[in-house]
Amino acid sequence: MDALTPIQQELSFIWWIALGLSFMLYIILDGSDLGAGIFSLFVRDEDERGAIMAAMAGTWDANETWLVVAGGIIFGSFPLVYGSAFHYLMLPLMLTLLSIILRAVALEFRVHSDFSKRFWDWCFGIASLTVTFFAGMGLGGLLQGFPLTAGPVPTYAGGALNFFSLFSLWIGVAAVIAAALAGGIFLRVRFERHTELYHAAQKWVDVMFYLALAAVLITLVWSYFKLPWASAKWTGPHWWAWWLLGAAVVFCAVRMRMASIKQHDMSAMLWLSATIIIMWGGMMATMYPWLVPDTWTIYSGANPSNSLVAFTLAVGGFIPVMIMYNWYQIWVFRGRITKLAAYEHH
Amino acid sequence: MLDSALFLTRLDFAWITTMHILYPPLTIGLSLLLFFSEWRWLRTDDEHWYRLTRFFEKLFILNFGAGVATGVTMEMAFGILFGPFSQAAGPFMGNILGYETITAFMYEAGFIGLMIFGWGKIGKKMHLFATFNVMISSSLSALWILDANSWMQTPTGVYVHNGTFMVNDWFSAILNPDFLRAFPHMWVAALELALFYVAAVCAWYLLKGQHVKMFQRALLYSILAAVIVAPLQIYIGDELGRVVAEDQPAALAAMEGHFNTYNPDGSVNTGWHIVAWPNDAAGKNDWAITIPHVLSLLETHTLDGKVIGLDQFKPADRPPVLIPFYAFRVMVAIGFALFLVALWGAWLAVRGRLSIERIVEQKWFLRTIILSAFLPYLAIWTGWWTREIARQPWVVYGLMTTAEGASKMSVTMAAVWFIGFMIFEIGVWLGTWYFFAKVIRKGPDMESPIVQGGHETLGTVHRAEDDTQPAYVRPTF
Repeated sequence: MDALTPIQQELSFIWWIALGLSFMLYIILDGSDLGAGIFSLFVRDEDERGAIMAAMAGTWDANETWLVVAGGIIFGSFPLVYGSAFHYLMLPLMLTLLSIILRAVALEFRVHSDFSKRFWDWCFGIASLTVTFFAGMGLGGLLQGFPLTAGPVPTYAGGALNFFSLFSLWIGVAAVIAAALAGGIFLRVRFERHTELYHAAQKWVDVMFYLALAAVLITLVWSYFKLPWASAKWTGPHWWAWWLLGAAVVFCAVRMRMASIKQHDMSAMLWLSATIIIMWGGMMATMYPWLVPDTWTIYSGANPSNSLVAFTLAVGGFIPVMIMYNWYQIWVFRGRITKLAAYEHH
Repeated sequence: MLDSALFLTRLDFAWITTMHILYPPLTIGLSLLLFFSEWRWLRTDDEHWYRLTRFFEKLFILNFGAGVATGVTMEMAFGILFGPFSQAAGPFMGNILGYETITAFMYEAGFIGLMIFGWGKIGKKMHLFATFNVMISSSLSALWILDANSWMQTPTGVYVHNGTFMVNDWFSAILNPDFLRAFPHMWVAALELALFYVAAVCAWYLLKGQHVKMFQRALLYSILAAVIVAPLQIYIGDELGRVVAEDQPAALAAMEGHFNTYNPDGSVNTGWHIVAWPNDAAGKNDWAITIPHVLSLLETHTLDGKVIGLDQFKPADRPPVLIPFYAFRVMVAIGFALFLVALWGAWLAVRGRLSIERIVEQKWFLRTIILSAFLPYLAIWTGWWTREIARQPWVVYGLMTTAEGASKMSVTMAAVWFIGFMIFEIGVWLGTWYFFAKVIRKGPDMESPIVQGGHETLGTVHRAEDDTQPAYVRPTF
């Protein structure tokens, strides 16, 4: 591989940030939708389940798009990583994709069905759970790194089951817990305060908050012992910065809990988002300069051609625009609803 | 030749692309027609245009959901099934697909929610603007996808360095020769599909004699548009065929079952086979019905022009002939058949048989229209099969073979993938059509009050209900 020019190095770094941003937006936005889907598995009333889907009717598809954007950025800026990492994660990605298919059609078809509403509700709930679980598992698999072949263009060397370990399994479980918390908080923002669903979501959030806290702690401790590149960084010369980061997470989490108790729903959602942003940023900072730990750095996996420049010029301006119209869309559909909100009012 | 894992990998990819292309063309074409009908509604304030818009939007969103569901898979599938290809071609392909995601797909998702669920929540003009953006973004998405695929057919503007394709000329890579013809061909195909789809839905109601006034006009508009679009598509297709002849002689020879460049007596072989049974192993057609001179006329527009045959290529570099040969013929036949159907409609219209009073008597014409809605789907399928199989054994024409580009999967994994996606995507397809049928049976909603989103049309005069209300209310902006 030839070395990158300084400008390409900078651009690779910028695109790495953009990639992290897309994933983070996906986790925050679609995480709420997925969590609401997981919540719907425990809802007995058919109309309430329909209303949960109605709550995301106008926005789920744009929220999900951030995942596709992240995929586009990996392919465009880091093709070497895209071609090898996706090959390595073949199985969890396949299961994620099948779940995404099921979830999308359940959202579309339920409205028009008379007798099969129950079936689509199950599909929607189960698929929300499996999207979260397998995507989390894929992330866990990525954190472990994977072997590459030698040669001018190193590609993945190994079997389809290499990603599987207790650690990646656990990350999948942790993702489900985190999404469940986000989903509960999202539903409390979307529903009128006097509805039964609102109260159910409130109880749900109380439980999930402590589960999520435990999940984060377990993940941190496990990572410390399992991932040498992470522990080296956390105990390195800048150890105090990581403690500061931890303090910021604790602060945001406490504020979220307080807002949640006071029924300041929107503010709870924003504090949760802040918590996720700090943790995700912390994860990226821990990984730097690795894009896939011990496998690809940001610079070795970057697009070797001059095309990064072209990509940046052509697309860089679009990301803020996308954030703007995604925001506008969420704004248009901001009103609270009750279970009478049927998805078919379109 | 048949390395089973490689074959399965190709089959996996063929399957997901084949099942995905069922949805986007309708999204692209229908968004255009929806914009037209909504625009007419705002201009004329005619309730029928509004009802039509709202009704076809229901079908549109069903189709769009299925398109998203199967399309997210596509983006990941390059890396999963063709990892080495994605790495090598990434500098170009990755960028182009990245453009597609960011400038088209995200853009479309952003406005589609407003278009479907925004009725009454945003102003009418803002809503029309949302529909307009859905139309533009879905066409943009076709543009980028076709660009990526065309580059695989005619990979200009790159050089190979250390096993990757480095782009040295963006303009020539993006505006590659195949793209300039292939994108219009696909875009017009999408429009043609949507026109026949809409016409078929209208025809179904007309056969039952429901909402005649509304659907008669919609049918007439679609058929008259098809009279222009169908021959245009045939013309663009011919142009594209000539590009293939120039840049991918092996692909063209496979499409035409053209094995021998010269006849045994040394003259140029100009025969065009109507039907044939190609025999790849022997390098000849076992039998064929052939018209002399036609092949040269088609590809070189001269009577005795030389068209390169498969005998000019090493056996290892020859594409399989059977599927491209027949898929190509099916596509062309459908192109002409749709043109004839459109002409029939135009002829009836000119003779006044399609007027509101008389259209319901044209039973056979209406039935034909309904049946011809399925033909564009088949034409799009066969067109893509022709394009992709005739490019074999290359994944990037002349630069990288499919075997080099495929991920090394175990047979088990490839089979698991295939079975999983087969079950799910057939399910999506059946579900989509089941609910299409359901929405169509339910019929358009003629009852609900027309939404008054945000703004009213200029200078609306409210009739005073009682004397306490002012008779004229100034419109607010």
